[in-house]
Amino acid sequence: MPSPFSINGGACVAMVGKDCVAIACDLRLGLQALTVSNNFPKIFQYGDHVFLGLTGLATDVTTVSDLFRYKVNMYRLREERHIAPRTFANLVSSSLYERRFGPWFVSPVVAGLEPKTGKPFICGFDSIGCIDFAKDFIVSGTATDQLFGMCESLWEPDLGPDELFETISQALLNAVDRDALSGWGAHVYIIEKDKVTKRLLKGRQD
Amino acid sequence: MDSLVARYSRPAYQDNEVFSEEEQRDLIETPSLSLKFAMPPVAHPSAWLRAATDDRSNPSCPIKIAHGTTTLAFRFQHGIIVATDSRATAGNWIASQTVKKVIEINSELLGTMAGGAADCQYWLAWLGMQCRLHELRHKRRISVAAASKILANLVYAYKGMGLSMGTMCAGVTKEEGPALYYIDSDGTRLAGDLFCVGSGQTFAYGVLDAEYRYDLTTEEALDLGSRSILAATHRDAYSGGFINLYHVKESGWVKHGFTDTNPVFWKTKLEKGEFSNVTSDFSED
Amino acid sequence: MRGPTILKATDDKTRQLNDHTLLAFSGEPGDTVQFAEYIQANSQLYSMRNESELSPSALAHFVRGELASSLRSRNPYSVNLLLGGVDPITNKPSLYWLDYLASLAKVPYAAHGYAQYYCLSLLDKHHNPNISLEEGLRLLKLCSDELKRRLPIDFKGLAVKAVTKDGIKAMPFDEDDKVVRDT
Repeated sequence: MPSPFSINGGACVAMVGKDCVAIACDLRLGLQALTVSNNFPKIFQYGDHVFLGLTGLATDVTTVSDLFRYKVNMYRLREERHIAPRTFANLVSSSLYERRFGPWFVSPVVAGLEPKTGKPFICGFDSIGCIDFAKDFIVSGTATDQLFGMCESLWEPDLGPDELFETISQALLNAVDRDALSGWGAHVYIIEKDKVTKRLLKGRQD
Repeated sequence: MDSLVARYSRPAYQDNEVFSEEEQRDLIETPSLSLKFAMPPVAHPSAWLRAATDDRSNPSCPIKIAHGTTTLAFRFQHGIIVATDSRATAGNWIASQTVKKVIEINSELLGTMAGGAADCQYWLAWLGMQCRLHELRHKRRISVAAASKILANLVYAYKGMGLSMGTMCAGVTKEEGPALYYIDSDGTRLAGDLFCVGSGQTFAYGVLDAEYRYDLTTEEALDLGSRSILAATHRDAYSGGFINLYHVKESGWVKHGFTDTNPVFWKTKLEKGEFSNVTSDFSED
Repeated sequence: MRGPTILKATDDKTRQLNDHTLLAFSGEPGDTVQFAEYIQANSQLYSMRNESELSPSALAHFVRGELASSLRSRNPYSVNLLLGGVDPITNKPSLYWLDYLASLAKVPYAAHGYAQYYCLSLLDKHHNPNISLEEGLRLLKLCSDELKRRLPIDFKGLAVKAVTKDGIKAMPFDEDDKVVRDT
């Protein structure tokens, strides 16, 4: 029996740029070697500038993304304001730790812009809520080794939105091309102060 | 006297098919190789090897052997089509996208590679040597039946020792016409019209069975072969890379390219409307 | 206990959730029918209370939710499902694939078990979104022929039902010819 983290496959990466952040995921849903669907996005939006990427067991990706939609909606009704990425990251962390002894099999990534300052914010988590704050990039999924290699070599500080799009796209596409369990297309979000751009990447389909 | 006894006391399997005298001798005279390979200094070498290399039962095994493949071959009126993908995986890691899984045994015979890459490469090269020796001894080409039997007997001698190969031998000879044999490391050897081997075999069979006929034209046959590999690379995570396509005729084999699947896939999708499961724009959400 | 005997060759492995939605299931004997009928009952209850039908998408997400909460219970249902339906308002058909882990995917065509391995490549090649019912049945015949030819078991044929905007009906399906080409 394989690890729950690698039954369905998938990859996600987030990167910091100059006054912008990017987050990208692949589109594969598989059952071990078999590809079942080529349209299973792993990035979810929880506010104007708050995004969550989830890789791991597909059922938990859906369950956890739905759970946070509920929690964020309740937060918005109670507080009468949108959730900030840093607050959301802490919500993710404590919600994951609630399942310390029977975890959700997911590796979340949060990306967004701080509401007041517009400063980029990214972080990653393990499956039980340990936060990994990063100034450069966060990777998760079955292609993490490949993504680390790509990001370490391609990423540089203060990339503009267009350069950042190019960098994150190349990093993801080339990483998943060396992983059997992820790929089959990708979604990329470029998050700027007054604009969010979503693009579909045509990846290799093998 | 001994040679007379040897001639008439052959194993029963050799009575099932008609081999010429000299081919018969090749099958018997194949030298024993069991002592040429260094064995690990442990009580049960094959069990030890299995524990160290079987990534299916033990994902953290120390030695990961390249696995995962789609290969196919089928007979038709103008010869045999042989097609393969080109991906090698070690666990989920794609070790290579440019493996040559069609092995040119000689200018007339082709072998395909599935299972252990090294096993296939080594033993098909060895088979090429045996075939050449046959030609030198007897001044005529070896039949595909005999060549495949040499390989089958060899792998059977190593049964249970951890060899892993699923291979097809394809060739066209005057006596046999287009001949296709499937041989695997269990010792199975089968003659047939159509075989697919590897982790993506079922996907290739799906497409191939639906449109296969013996009276396919050469162009149709080449298209069907490469389309079947494309189908398998799309659905099987452990198949992909390039489509390696060959046509075997009586005059020898002809290579029909080593083609990247990516442009072929998008051409097939956008021009023929196939692969409707793949999104190419957001409007389909 | 039960042994390897086929107890019934014509078992209907589908349940109708409402006028325009059908649920097909496979998996652990016992679990399958219990779970499908639990879903069926809840769907019918909704239709009675609200005098309107849930859409296929709403039902699929309801089924997923129930299966996902069962997954982390003491005794999870082990059921694989296909949910097909026509939206009563938009008249758009849709198909959902769910496995026993409650992974949900909206797909143009689907299968479960070994059938996936033999049929998906065929459907990749021959399906298009504008396919007619007759063409669909021909494509299904292609699939069942392949299964007869290559599956190492005799699966005793297919029961075919069609979901259209006019409702659900069982389709006659040519099952007589046992012609399996020798390849």
